[in-house]
Amino acid sequence: MKLSGLPLQAIVASVLLATTAVAEHTSNWAVLVCTSRFWFNYRHLANVLSMYRTVKRLGIPDSQIILMLPDDMACNPRNAFPGTVYSNSDRAVDLYGDNIEVDYRGYEVTVENFIRLLTDRVGDETPRSKRLLTDDRSNIFVYMTGHGGNEFLKFQDAEEIGAFDLADAFEQMWEKKRYHEILFMIDTCQANTMYSRLYSPNIIATGSSELDESSYSHHADNDVGVAVIDRYTYYNLEFLEAHVQDLSSKKTIGELFDSYEFDKIHSTAGVHYDLFPGGEEAARSRLITDFFGNIQNVEVDRAKDLALEEELVELSKTIAMLRRKEAEEDAAYHNVSSIPASVPTAPPRKIQGAKALTEDDWWTKKIIGATALAGCALLWGVGSFLEA
Amino acid sequence: MRSLLSFLPLLIPSALVSATEYHEQLNLRPLPLSALLASFNFRANTSIADFEAQNFRLFPRSLGQILQYAGTRELHLRFTLGRWDAESWGTRPWDGTKEGGTGVELWAWLDAETDEEADEKWLTLTNALSGLFCASLNFIDGTRTIRPVVSFQPEGDHPNTTLANTRLLHGVLPHEVVCTENLTPFLKMLPCKGKAGIASLLDGHKLFDASFQSMAIDVRPICPSEGECVLQLEQTVDMVLDVDRSKRPHDNPIPRPPPGHDLICDTTKPYHQPDDACYPIDHLRGQDWTLSQIFGRTMKGTCPLTDDEVPPVCVHLPPTRDLFASQGAHEIRYPNNDSLRCYHIEQDKEFTLVLTKSEFPSEGGEAAPLGIVKPETPVLYADRSFTGHGQEHGGVQAILTNPGDDSVEFVYMESLPWFMRIYLHTLSARISASSPNTNSSADLIKEIYYRPALDRARGTQLELLLSIPPRCTVFLTYDFERSILRYTEYPPDANRGFDVAAAVITTLEPKAMNIRTTSLLLYLPTPDFSMPYNVIIFTSTTVALAFGGIYNIIVRRMVGANEVPRTAMKDKVAAFIQKLKGKKTAVAAAAAGGKASIEPVSGTAEAK
Repeated sequence: MKLSGLPLQAIVASVLLATTAVAEHTSNWAVLVCTSRFWFNYRHLANVLSMYRTVKRLGIPDSQIILMLPDDMACNPRNAFPGTVYSNSDRAVDLYGDNIEVDYRGYEVTVENFIRLLTDRVGDETPRSKRLLTDDRSNIFVYMTGHGGNEFLKFQDAEEIGAFDLADAFEQMWEKKRYHEILFMIDTCQANTMYSRLYSPNIIATGSSELDESSYSHHADNDVGVAVIDRYTYYNLEFLEAHVQDLSSKKTIGELFDSYEFDKIHSTAGVHYDLFPGGEEAARSRLITDFFGNIQNVEVDRAKDLALEEELVELSKTIAMLRRKEAEEDAAYHNVSSIPASVPTAPPRKIQGAKALTEDDWWTKKIIGATALAGCALLWGVGSFLEA
Repeated sequence: MRSLLSFLPLLIPSALVSATEYHEQLNLRPLPLSALLASFNFRANTSIADFEAQNFRLFPRSLGQILQYAGTRELHLRFTLGRWDAESWGTRPWDGTKEGGTGVELWAWLDAETDEEADEKWLTLTNALSGLFCASLNFIDGTRTIRPVVSFQPEGDHPNTTLANTRLLHGVLPHEVVCTENLTPFLKMLPCKGKAGIASLLDGHKLFDASFQSMAIDVRPICPSEGECVLQLEQTVDMVLDVDRSKRPHDNPIPRPPPGHDLICDTTKPYHQPDDACYPIDHLRGQDWTLSQIFGRTMKGTCPLTDDEVPPVCVHLPPTRDLFASQGAHEIRYPNNDSLRCYHIEQDKEFTLVLTKSEFPSEGGEAAPLGIVKPETPVLYADRSFTGHGQEHGGVQAILTNPGDDSVEFVYMESLPWFMRIYLHTLSARISASSPNTNSSADLIKEIYYRPALDRARGTQLELLLSIPPRCTVFLTYDFERSILRYTEYPPDANRGFDVAAAVITTLEPKAMNIRTTSLLLYLPTPDFSMPYNVIIFTSTTVALAFGGIYNIIVRRMVGANEVPRTAMKDKVAAFIQKLKGKKTAVAAAAAGGKASIEPVSGTAEAK
């Protein structure tokens, strides 16, 4: 069985490589993490949800977006607009909308789950929607927001992820060939310290503020009652809305970075591409849609490839032959296994369920108790008698 | 084997078509005080043979494959928010059988020979469902799972042989929020995906603005007396909308006081003065609405897959009220039930209903003149609360009232978290003194099924078989102790408290129905979470200071400054030279004589 599977995969892989050798990456994923709980952190959820809408607008499907929301703002009793989250006081766009899939929510948003997600060290029972099923041809957009400090980011006010933890997680991803390129974006106080420890290649990182600098919220909505978005995210979105309207946009990451101004953001946004192959130039020339949009170049030009088609027909014949072989082997295997083997079965350990309380042995219990008490009294009596 | 299975559907005769059917219905029932109950019901059947061959048509593949993989015979999943106000709204829709406790509730019959196997499949099922429904169902672990003995009975038709090899597991997450992300997969499971038919009215913005809402998913095998067994998937949404709140514009939902001349005043109040003092009785205004107002959108025709026989929309109203439907709809009245009217709708026409204002009610009337069908009185009222004070001990009191003339027999089930340690010996049921039948309080509790909690491993399971005589109120009480959690076991919002799941009441007599109490919020003693750091820092400082001082006192010999023997530089140098010499001889001796000779020499060296 194993043997017949292997060449099949190899053949398919070789064909795929031949046809898509031009493409830099073959899939796009987004990991969008909010790390703040509680109503007054409404803006952090709004930040993440605006990013969610942006990547969805540019074609990344829900199955390739991992959305982590630690608290429920849309259906929060304090929300005057049930079922909605707004990131602007004009309330033009409902970010929660009608179609949303939250993968990790509530208490599930922990440092452990985040790192497990990145490194794919999860249990067998974890559903696919909670896993980052990337490979070495996947571009990943990682966005984080919350409250942070020098080289840490708080998760739900209860624990922290350190810059070293993050760097190690990315390194493990690189070693496991789980990404092609990563765009890491973080909006928190002293955000730039979070990527300062990265030591893995192919990562472009950007953050909202320098060491000892706070990140600020943009504006509040009086009917919602709290601030609705952060400055850095607001101006990122502004750029994306204005210049990246669809996948045909040729705007580059460099142009996005150039749009960051201290006057607007009120903090010094930072960028990092030390270990990017080709350095600053290559990193800045990457298209925004390489990370925010879904890869589209899967079209095959049929007219030219008569030879290829013939090859494919040949290949499909081989595959059919292999399948048949596999099925035969499978059947043979099943025949073998269907012979009843005298497998020693472990005696089933019974878990005791709830039991009906009865009063049958009530008297027995009473008698035992009385006897025990009487015995103790007797012992004491004998002891004191002997002592006397 | 595989190829054989895939051919099966072809061999089955065309009788199968009748087994595959789908219908949907929306029931609207105005309730007192500007409340409106909207019950959506979607039901899809698929034959068991189709299901096993993975030939999904109306049954959603995503759910079907999970059920097959986890060996689930029957599944019930509930997402509930809010409280059903039985005092004013009467009996629950579907007799409470399609309702869960606040949060998420799941129970299922799993194919398993042993309990371990059942646990394994339960883990698979909860995790897979958590991925499908975007809820933290994976948090239903051993501490939140119970195995009810008498409370739940399978709803489907199972052969006795399979039932013997199934296990019932029940888990509940009272803290789970229910929001749009749970509705999205719910709608995606429908054959028309919420694009057409009554599902097109389901909008998260209105559903989660409701005073009470419950989403239910039931999967059960149904075996008709003749014909083939089918697997039925029933999806239900019950919501109680506040009509006034629903009619507020979506972009401006902040309530503003109505102008004075629009108020309806209670003229019987002594302080009532026109244009000056007014006691508003706006709720007596009665309901008037249009379908598109209360749901925020119009209904987009019917789902083409639905059974034409079943009218998609029904309204429960007194026959005298005027209700107008949009053109093309066909109204049906039923002779045996004059307060019910249903509508057949054309397939791709938009549909709406307009309920006009009833005449202003004359004074003193109850529900009837408001122009609604008076709700039925429920069989049992149940209320549960915490008693006691302090952070160590507490009590639970459930007040169960039987308003009817028949005695009510029911099972009361609690699934309590392990950190709430109950004292079973304090469990008592007494009839209130004001009840007419106080003498019959001897044996209210007939049977007790109990499984005590284990710390950090499982919760308490308590099932009581009770019977309440007619027109009596029973107080069921027990005491408990709060345990103190470990520092890391507290959730991030520990100061909010811990939710205790709703008690489930299953009545057996006079009719079978379900009631769930509200969930409770249990306050546990919660530390100040910055305290451990303070303590660590403080104790380290203290220990360091104390250790230094005590160590000095013990080890050092204190002498006066003038008593210190003077060690001249010369002495030191001499001693050093002596030491060197000693070593030299020792090395020479070692080279010459071996081990034995070393010791005396080195001994002399040390003596100096």
